[in-house]
Amino acid sequence: MTPLNYSDETVCALLDCLIPGEASSGWPAAGQMGLGNRFIELMRLLHRDGDQLLQSLFNALPDDFADATAETQVACLVAIEKTCPTIFDATLKACYSAYYTNPKVREIIEAKTGYEARPPQPQGYPLEPFDESLLDPVRTRGPIWRPVP
Amino acid sequence: MERGGCVNQRAAPSLTPEWELALQKSFHANPNIRCNDADYPVDDTQSVIKPAFFNAIGGSTIRWGAHFPRFRPSDFYPHTLDGVATDWPMGYDDLVPYMDINDQMMGVSGLAGDTANPPRSPRQYPPLASCEGSKRLIHGANQLGWHWWPADAAIATADSTTRRACNNCGPCGIGCPRHARASADTAYLAAAQHAGVELIQHTVVTRILTSTGQAKAIEIRTQNNEKFVIDLEHLVLAGNAISTNVLLSSMNDWNNPLLGKGLMLHPTAIVTGFFRDNLNSYTGPFATSIVSQQFCETEKKRGFVRGFQLQALRGQGPLTTALGGYGNPVAWGRSHAKGFSQAFGHGMSLTVTCEDLPEPVNRIEVSKEKLDHFGMPTAKMHYRLGSNTEKMKTYGIERARQWLRAAGAEKISVNPLSKQAGFHLMGTAPMGVSERDSVTAPDGRLHGVANITIIDASVFPSSSPVNPTSTLQAIALRAADLMARRLSP
Repeated sequence: MTPLNYSDETVCALLDCLIPGEASSGWPAAGQMGLGNRFIELMRLLHRDGDQLLQSLFNALPDDFADATAETQVACLVAIEKTCPTIFDATLKACYSAYYTNPKVREIIEAKTGYEARPPQPQGYPLEPFDESLLDPVRTRGPIWRPVP
Repeated sequence: MERGGCVNQRAAPSLTPEWELALQKSFHANPNIRCNDADYPVDDTQSVIKPAFFNAIGGSTIRWGAHFPRFRPSDFYPHTLDGVATDWPMGYDDLVPYMDINDQMMGVSGLAGDTANPPRSPRQYPPLASCEGSKRLIHGANQLGWHWWPADAAIATADSTTRRACNNCGPCGIGCPRHARASADTAYLAAAQHAGVELIQHTVVTRILTSTGQAKAIEIRTQNNEKFVIDLEHLVLAGNAISTNVLLSSMNDWNNPLLGKGLMLHPTAIVTGFFRDNLNSYTGPFATSIVSQQFCETEKKRGFVRGFQLQALRGQGPLTTALGGYGNPVAWGRSHAKGFSQAFGHGMSLTVTCEDLPEPVNRIEVSKEKLDHFGMPTAKMHYRLGSNTEKMKTYGIERARQWLRAAGAEKISVNPLSKQAGFHLMGTAPMGVSERDSVTAPDGRLHGVANITIIDASVFPSSSPVNPTSTLQAIALRAADLMARRLSP
């Protein structure tokens, strides 16, 4: 495997650009959370040709991406999204995957929405039993299936 | 004999914090993306809908949402009723006894008395619970005066000796550790083995050897790459339209020009409504809430024949929501946090599941030159939407919008065609009375090679607006019953 040619700063800036967070409402930025290594790992895990995609991504980013203004970074990613959708989609998938499986992000989601930071099983979720009376209007209208010869 | 192995659903990914990653990779519906050891490539470059099936003991029921409607009486007479496709060589009533047996084996929750279907036996379990999103949709359907009904689901809603009641965790598609959601392995395997079935896993059938109109043997390859030839008296195939076509094409002295043609899928649009308040819409089995069969039957003024089902889908986990779930990803950049907050827990979706017609141009082609890593010929899907389906889908999207608006959705987004939805592979070896217009006989036996029986949905002469599993399992039970009677001394 050929070593990838990239800097941690570039990956951090890339992730921050994709998920910049929203400080005023408590959402952290993806790069500032230190998700760079996890992002690289997930590019490889989720995509059969992960290394190739990563190298193509880094080749497409300018050398000074990390130091560019936010507007320039966004413009750069918009261009990649348009011209290299396969690379961009794979990047976005790995970035979102790193962010939304991160325990700290899951704690924030729990605090904001009530969605508990735990796997769906074994606890599941309580729901009310189905209320049959809601079907009364449907029953009143009678059968709608078509008779056959 | 199965190319995959057993899946231990007791250890399903839904027990782990990173369960949503499984949906993106090891449990992805598309074998070309999933790339598990048992998966083989399918050339889908000429298909607007991508293949979706699972290679394991239990097949695609390992990966499914367990929605369990029956085909409807009119689905068996598309030619007589609407002048399209071909009538089935059997009717709904012929299959009911086998549907009833299958319901017992799979364990179905729901409610008898559905006004869009003939009367049927009581379900084994009460309907699934309602989430807030389902209640909004029910309110909307009642406002519109449309049919709706709780979905039949192969999901237990009460404890039994082998299954625990569904606890509404959501992601049925990555296996059910409670065995509440049935799959073919958990429902049938123990009984089959008790009856003497020997299970051979991780083994690929590479060729069927025939002589004088009889299958004589199969060539197999084990996971250690050892090759064997096994003699046989009767061969039963359940490989879905893709693998069944590949295997039938391996026979040197048999051919039927209809084989492979008339591939039917379920072209599906997904319309999602976002509500102002948090519905916690991720709670409950993702695919089985309520359905509407208001538009299943032909009404010619709509401009197309046959019809579609509207099926409610609940919301998804955080990652799947961000990735777009049933539609487009939440936008990246400065608006991302806001976009995610407005989507997660707030969305309910409706599928527009269109009945497909069998058209020769939609087909499976087998390339004997291009071999996969098992040494098998590869299949190529050729599929595009026919004009009837396009009109139906466009009409259906508007009805889904109408329903979601009536339910109170503030924002609606439309995915006009779910590309990763090639999960109902129907047709390509249709059954019929005559070899001239069919590939298999009404009992699933191959015309011209009578000791091969096909029991998957490739024998369907036409399709339906509803999911096929209940019907295809009934077809399989019927074929088994007829075979047992035929072979009894």
